[in-house]
Amino acid sequence: MTRSETHTTNANLLVLHALRCAGAAGPARLHAFTGLDESDVESELIDLGAEGLVTRMSGDMPCWLLTDTGRAADAERITDELTSANARGAVEAAFDRFLVLNPELLDLCAAWQLRTVDGIMNANDHSDPVYDSRVLDRFADLDRRAAPVCAELSAALPRFGRYRDRLAGALDRAASGALEYVTDSTASYHTVWAELHEDLLATLGMRR
Amino acid sequence: MRWVRAISSQVEEAAETLGGKAVGLVLLHRLGLPVPAGFVITTQACRAFLRDGRLPDGLDDELATAIADLEVTAGRSFGGPRRPLAVSVRSGAGVSMPGMMSTILNLGLTTEATAGLAVETGDRPFALNSRLRFLSSFASAVTNADAGGVGNASDAGDAGDAGDAGVGHGEDPGRGTKDEETRLADAMKAIEEFVRQRSGQPIPDDATRQLASAVEAVFSSWDTPRARTYRALHDIPHDLGTAVIVQTMVFGNRDDHSGTGVAFSRDPNTGENIPFGEVLFGHQGEDVVSGRSTTRPLRELAEREPAVWAELLDALNRIEGHYRDSCYIEFTFQAGELWVLQVRPGRFVGGAAVRVATELAEERVIGRHEALLRISPRHLRQVRTPRIASSEEADVFARGLGACPGVAVGHVATTADRAVRMAQGGALVVLVRPETSPHDMHGLAAATGIVTARGGPASHAAVVARAMERPAVVGIAGLTVDAGNGTVTAGGRTIGDGTLITIDGTSGEVVLGRPRIVANAADEHLHRLLAWADDTSGDHSRRGESQRLEAAHAALRASGA
Repeated sequence: MTRSETHTTNANLLVLHALRCAGAAGPARLHAFTGLDESDVESELIDLGAEGLVTRMSGDMPCWLLTDTGRAADAERITDELTSANARGAVEAAFDRFLVLNPELLDLCAAWQLRTVDGIMNANDHSDPVYDSRVLDRFADLDRRAAPVCAELSAALPRFGRYRDRLAGALDRAASGALEYVTDSTASYHTVWAELHEDLLATLGMRR
Repeated sequence: MRWVRAISSQVEEAAETLGGKAVGLVLLHRLGLPVPAGFVITTQACRAFLRDGRLPDGLDDELATAIADLEVTAGRSFGGPRRPLAVSVRSGAGVSMPGMMSTILNLGLTTEATAGLAVETGDRPFALNSRLRFLSSFASAVTNADAGGVGNASDAGDAGDAGDAGVGHGEDPGRGTKDEETRLADAMKAIEEFVRQRSGQPIPDDATRQLASAVEAVFSSWDTPRARTYRALHDIPHDLGTAVIVQTMVFGNRDDHSGTGVAFSRDPNTGENIPFGEVLFGHQGEDVVSGRSTTRPLRELAEREPAVWAELLDALNRIEGHYRDSCYIEFTFQAGELWVLQVRPGRFVGGAAVRVATELAEERVIGRHEALLRISPRHLRQVRTPRIASSEEADVFARGLGACPGVAVGHVATTADRAVRMAQGGALVVLVRPETSPHDMHGLAAATGIVTARGGPASHAAVVARAMERPAVVGIAGLTVDAGNGTVTAGGRTIGDGTLITIDGTSGEVVLGRPRIVANAADEHLHRLLAWADDTSGDHSRRGESQRLEAAHAALRASGA
């Protein structure tokens, strides 16, 4: 049995699983998700397409998504990976800790978007930098507590290591003024967090 | 007593010590309204607990005395095998922290007491259901995890803003059948095992120890990281602490003449002077907004329980008279008898706030100056948000929580892929999902509006809807989505993919077809209020609505009003 420290997920499964966790996405987002070069991502997508596991959706924003077969294949391969890395216990424990943090993260996103003044809630128009920085400070505080959970996950399965980088990256950009990296962009803290949530559920074969 | 106060009309202390909820209960007593007997453990006890890490000396004895008084009042015995006394244990801080504080129902229903309740009522499923409620709420409180899903026992959803009275679970398979007893037994076993695993200790089968643990759990819930973050965001001091309210349980699941609900004295969506709310017959519960059951419009109470309805109207009138404002209550009725469990001012916003303030001034309940002071320019920002004109004339299919204001009209799509395809074909689409995940992002982007059955104002769907500025309704109890068949069911009606619906992200209404939409629901009232504003400031020149209101506020402040 392979020890978890040495387990690396192959590029084919990385791309397949990225579509499982991120939903419909193009090569640029899959690059951000997996850390693979866009050209490698595209080559994997072509292979996965040939196997009937993914399909390309045309339109204003062309993107790829899993077929039903692809979803089933991902479930099987990701479970095999979890078993062969002997990582189920560690991922389950980390997921429990994630679930404690999750409602707090969602509270923070709501506080970023909506602001209550004198008992009246309105959209946060981001005109008050003091309020915004107070919310971002709380994001940073939560992120510090999320870091050990991410570390446990990447120790169990190295592919989880991307989340740490992406979460920290989103907060850095938000702190330097790119406010869309909190809740609004496809690389926002909220988006990455939701992908991590989906990944944990998919990895453990659980439903929401 | 040092830490405990019996809740009665005599109590004089303020919310700082008693918590806001207990102050409301004292008010109900003073107004002569029916309130289950109870007592409150003060915020000082909470502060001592948080400081020392254990319940303060002397609290045990005070709890025993207070419980003994409840036993006498109710003619029941706490944890006893005959005529058992069950209590609710609820947090009640001086400030509102929605969804963050624990509530334990039916506490005291030990194995023995449950058997006693079954004999007393001759209704064993009722007794077992009530114990299951205790176990699941106790488990959620002591493990600080949502035990609602464990054994599929309860309906504790993740909807946010919650009252504590409420409405329970919906899917009772043939009440009184053997199958149901087996299901209840399995669910109870699963919850007890869950607690043993999580906390290393079994759920105590001793009423006094249950109470002490529950009080500790409520005090501890003040200091979870999530609660601390919430307070930091909302400028609430960390050292306030929460009070704990212990009350004799009333059972909304007792019989056919029992139930539970919430009511506003006026419609919080429009401000119109008609009582508004929801009721769930034959259930007790925890949370009227997050339950998985389908609630009924409040007015159905008038037909089914006219005596309860009359009492409720009287209660709302008396409370409005006291606040000189709209109000909100949570209530339960047991065997045809009404009990009020919680009260607060209505806290309406936007056009509803404008209408209520204006009408109260016209009814001479408040003066025009007070009406003006009750409306802040922040309310005016919401007055122009488009709304469905009237829920009376619209065909309301379902009602949830408004999560992103605005109105969206579109054709139902039950999967993200279908939403994208329909949008590419040129249709306006409302995406309807059980809840959303990253898989729905392309569908969310393609849709003009979003509806989810589950989730609260801080759910994934709500956060994404606001990020994309799409009107959204979330947390619709009793809405089921069958994406395989492309159908959506609520309140006994089923609609399919492609059906035209309209959603109102302020009121949370989902309406069939294309109702009348207005962007100035409170126009007449706003005109009248702003005319008073001009009279007050003495400035009748043309300028913006906010400026007119602010000038009146400034004039009132200058004259010391």
